[in-house]
Amino acid sequence: MKFVGLVLAVCGWLLPVVSLTLTSSLAVRFVFALIGIALCLTGILGFLNRAYVKEAIWKK
Amino acid sequence: MRRKKLNTLIRGFVLATYFLCGVPAWAQTPSQPTTSTQASPAPAMNAPLAVKEANPPSADELGKGDASGSLTGTVNDVTVSNPKTGLTLGDALNQIGQNKVAINFVWTLITGFLVMFMQAGFAAVETGLCRAKNANHTIMMNFMVYGIGLFAYWVCGFAIQMGGAAGVSSLGGAAPLSGEFALHFAGKTWGLWGTHGFFLTQGGTYDVAVMVLFLFEMVFMDTAATIVTGGCAERWKFAAFAVSSVFLAAITYPLFANWAWGGGWLFGLGSNFGLGAGYADFAGSGVVHAVGGLSALAVAIIVGPRIGKYNRDGSSNAIPGHDITMVLIGCFILAFGWFGFNPGSTLGASGSLRIATIAVDTMLAGATGSFGAVFYMWVRYGKPDASMSGNGLLAGLVAITAPSGFVNTIGAAIIGLIAGVLVCLSVEFIDRVAHIDDPVGAISVHGTCGLWGVLSVGLFADGTGIGSVRGLFYGNAGQLVAQMIGVATLLGCIFTLTFVFNLIVDYFVGQRVSPQAELEGLDIPEMGALGYPEFVLKMQGAGAA
Repeated sequence: MKFVGLVLAVCGWLLPVVSLTLTSSLAVRFVFALIGIALCLTGILGFLNRAYVKEAIWKK
Repeated sequence: MRRKKLNTLIRGFVLATYFLCGVPAWAQTPSQPTTSTQASPAPAMNAPLAVKEANPPSADELGKGDASGSLTGTVNDVTVSNPKTGLTLGDALNQIGQNKVAINFVWTLITGFLVMFMQAGFAAVETGLCRAKNANHTIMMNFMVYGIGLFAYWVCGFAIQMGGAAGVSSLGGAAPLSGEFALHFAGKTWGLWGTHGFFLTQGGTYDVAVMVLFLFEMVFMDTAATIVTGGCAERWKFAAFAVSSVFLAAITYPLFANWAWGGGWLFGLGSNFGLGAGYADFAGSGVVHAVGGLSALAVAIIVGPRIGKYNRDGSSNAIPGHDITMVLIGCFILAFGWFGFNPGSTLGASGSLRIATIAVDTMLAGATGSFGAVFYMWVRYGKPDASMSGNGLLAGLVAITAPSGFVNTIGAAIIGLIAGVLVCLSVEFIDRVAHIDDPVGAISVHGTCGLWGVLSVGLFADGTGIGSVRGLFYGNAGQLVAQMIGVATLLGCIFTLTFVFNLIVDYFVGQRVSPQAELEGLDIPEMGALGYPEFVLKMQGAGAA
């Protein structure tokens, strides 16, 4: 879960950056940037943080 | 008397015309022969000027004292390069150039000193929002991050950030900062990090303009570093804090700052890919605050919540700070320092009169930020919460930091107001949904509102400010895409880098103190002395009785 979260976050960064070299369409770049941010947030809060919360002191 | 004044005026006009005509003639015709068609020949640089025409005060007049101030600061004060020839046009022009750069040096240094004083504000806010038993530990983290960060930034952070940022015209060029390591990919140049300026000597960087730039950029970096101490307060091991701060000051902060400000690839999104003016972050909502806030998020996830923060069912308990007056005084110190943060980012006052708008934008956004937070808390909980009003002020200031050079006052007010409400929503989300313990709200104030500030440039920039940056509402959607790529970089690259490094620190040093130390309070176990010895002794005595 932790590893998946980090990989998702990195992919969320690389996606809009790589899209810059693949297309010159502003709309497509906008969509890729939006998806990238969503992926980053999902990776950090949805996977990485959730994995830590599962093992949290207050749950034991 | 009136005739004498008139004569003085005429003399002044003649001299001014001489200078004004002389400057362009000198600048444009160094190698062109003078022809008969030209109206007047360029004056020779080494020709002596008729100093008497400037009507300088005599030694007798100066000897009587200058009560009105009209006799001090005249042609007598212009430096003469050759006493034999006396004052020449070249001397006068050199003096004009040096005066311009001197004004900008003084402006940048003084605003840098203001930003340095923000460390005191952060120390007061964070310590006040923590419990009395951790006061010594919390304020010591805020105190020591200044020296730790400064040292690491001097060794390599500044070089990585600004080593390739030459061309700072307001400071005279800073020419030695001319080394940028870049990749060439897909037919474009991607600047990654600077290579000049290690120890402020390597690469010819023992240079006055470089020193000014270093001081100003260093205090910005330290602001980012001190944000993390708030998010992880009351359970962060001091040794781990020290190592983590070195990494932030030496690597993560300078890397992103290079990409945004040092001539790196984010800055080049405009020229390389046609995305507006490239990633635009005037004073650092992203570079400073989001980097600090996201680093706080990374470390807070690793260290976990304080004991007693959450119940078994996941509900959270409020752990109030011990001194709300200290918190709000700290907020005022920060608001004062922000006048260095934003207007100072012009790196000069001469030729950058936009500083007036930037200062007003800064005040407005801070005020509307506190309005937004107070309004939200009053409506939702029935009382205007003091600590959240302080956080609202800071949220507005954080959010306006990136757009302050590009937006008008209406845009600034809206950006601040949204930040004030956003910080309350974010604090609730981080606390109750994500179950991340953030004692001072650093992740929300600096992380969430820093990212909002970055995006707001892509929406509200009106095209009249620094660099003619224009956002979506003023007809340039490309600028918004550039800002979104900046946000994705902060979340996906800078957060990940910080997280992985702090995992390594956790493995070797351990990020969290022992449960016994945490319950006792970190002052004695970590620092060896109580923050409030008599106060705590009295309370223990009362409890024992």
